[in-house]
Amino acid sequence: MIKKTLHVTFAVLALCFAVNAYANHIEIKPFDTASMEAIHAQYKGRPFVLSFWATTCDPCRKEMGLWRALKLRYPSMPIVLVATDGPADQAAVTAFLMRYNPGPVQHWMFADEFTERLRYTVDKSWRGEMPRTYFFDVAHAAEAHSGLLERRPVEQWFVRHSRRAR
Amino acid sequence: MNAMFVRMNKMMKSLPRCFALLGVLLVFCAPTAAQHAGHHAMTQTGHAARPDLGATAAFDARGVLWAAHKDNGHVAVSRSDDTGRTWSKPVYVNAVAEPTDTGGDARPKMAIGASGQLYVTWTRPLAKPYTGEILFSRSVDEGRSFSPVMTVHADRQQITHRFDAITVNKQGQIFVAWIDKRDGIAAARLKKGYRGAAVYYAVSDDHGASFRGDYKLAEHSCECCRIALLAQDDGSVMALWRHVFAPNIRDHALARLTPDGRAGTLRRATFDDWRVDVCPHHGPSLAQDAAGRLHAVWFTQVAKNSGVFYGRLREGGVEWQRRVGGQTAEHADLAVTGNRVALAWKEFDGERSRLRAMISDDGGEHWREHELAVTAGASDQPRVLVRAGAFHVFWNTRREPLLTVPLP
Repeated sequence: MIKKTLHVTFAVLALCFAVNAYANHIEIKPFDTASMEAIHAQYKGRPFVLSFWATTCDPCRKEMGLWRALKLRYPSMPIVLVATDGPADQAAVTAFLMRYNPGPVQHWMFADEFTERLRYTVDKSWRGEMPRTYFFDVAHAAEAHSGLLERRPVEQWFVRHSRRAR
Repeated sequence: MNAMFVRMNKMMKSLPRCFALLGVLLVFCAPTAAQHAGHHAMTQTGHAARPDLGATAAFDARGVLWAAHKDNGHVAVSRSDDTGRTWSKPVYVNAVAEPTDTGGDARPKMAIGASGQLYVTWTRPLAKPYTGEILFSRSVDEGRSFSPVMTVHADRQQITHRFDAITVNKQGQIFVAWIDKRDGIAAARLKKGYRGAAVYYAVSDDHGASFRGDYKLAEHSCECCRIALLAQDDGSVMALWRHVFAPNIRDHALARLTPDGRAGTLRRATFDDWRVDVCPHHGPSLAQDAAGRLHAVWFTQVAKNSGVFYGRLREGGVEWQRRVGGQTAEHADLAVTGNRVALAWKEFDGERSRLRAMISDDGGEHWREHELAVTAGASDQPRVLVRAGAFHVFWNTRREPLLTVPLP
């Protein structure tokens, strides 16, 4: 019995270390008024997906598994997730990402509280509803979508565009 | 690659118990992970977080303006005797600084009792994502001190009780309504689906010494939009909220809360047919004119008719539905006095946020538009208030805290 308890304790400790190590390796860049341009520059000549979410948004949670599955299946397609929570909420954002794991995608979060200004750099007609996703083709022409995505049309987009993503 | 993916999928499906164990472990590990992450935030953004701007305000019967807002990690109340030109030193409502729900449609709320009591509600987030509890405190000595904080709802599960709304009827009974996920969670236990969340409420007959409830107003509300409450002459309260009509239409619904806990029939209030699973973070506002007509503002995003809208709600339809503001208009609020209606909202022009307003002197038929203020920093949602038949707009901005502007 004691032996078993010890084993469980060790397992718990090991997992805690692993989880903390993982948390420290979720790199989250601050998304400021220059970031949209930087993201376009980073993926110049390649298609990419950009999706805005928040820890307070329930449909966003459901979408994390979709990103994980798509990233596994189409590893060459860049997926960029931006949390719109404020800088004070970074702990909550990290905990959310650990819990609902969207896979090895790129992470940003809003760097300041002036959210209208940040949203304006992305899209003037976006009023802050989430999830809000942009599918950029190779020329960076965007298709915008508000709300939870359906897997089939998104996957079709990935099929069509992932050849150009490499 | 495909085969591997299928195998992983199978593995995932056979692992619910492991995930449950992992969940428990994560709870244990979370504090250390959060500390690391918090440390990270400081180094990346270069400054500590400033208090959230979420704030609401109300005039009492004597014309004193009261604001509920955040200060130094506390929920605080400030007082102004000159319609917002100068403010008293804030008085803390909760003795201990603690996190409160912020962002989107979450902010401290305030209502005034029949004898000038100050009632404040807010949401405290709990450990699990999306969970929270609605807290309440009152002052019976003109804001000099506040009662110990109490939880409004009887249900103590660690689930969603969030997006509190408060109002007081003419009899002095306090109504607090909120978004509640107990029915969705009960359905999930039975492996059943559930659209959205539910709206519950509680009533206080003793000026906030205690609450009774929890009364269900409606199932299938949207999950994170504020609820509009409007006290009626007969002691009941009208509520307007973003609903999820089958299958996923996020238009608005209207229903009556009664003091005895019976909920009136739900009726559809807006008819934009916005079919989407989304968090608009954009709840409606409701007011009533001298003739008893209901006026509302709301947000919708159907393909060809996207934005903020005003209309008069009548049985089965909306009269005089019209767009409010330009392409970036958001977070409108409204108030009515007599047959005069005032709307306020904000618009971002690429550099600055503009506080704009529309006023109608004839119950919503004709309007004139004004710009009230401009700010180059962050700002909260505006709120329209009435004092002695005149409109004022309250707008908490980073550069001018608790800004209050009279309408022309």
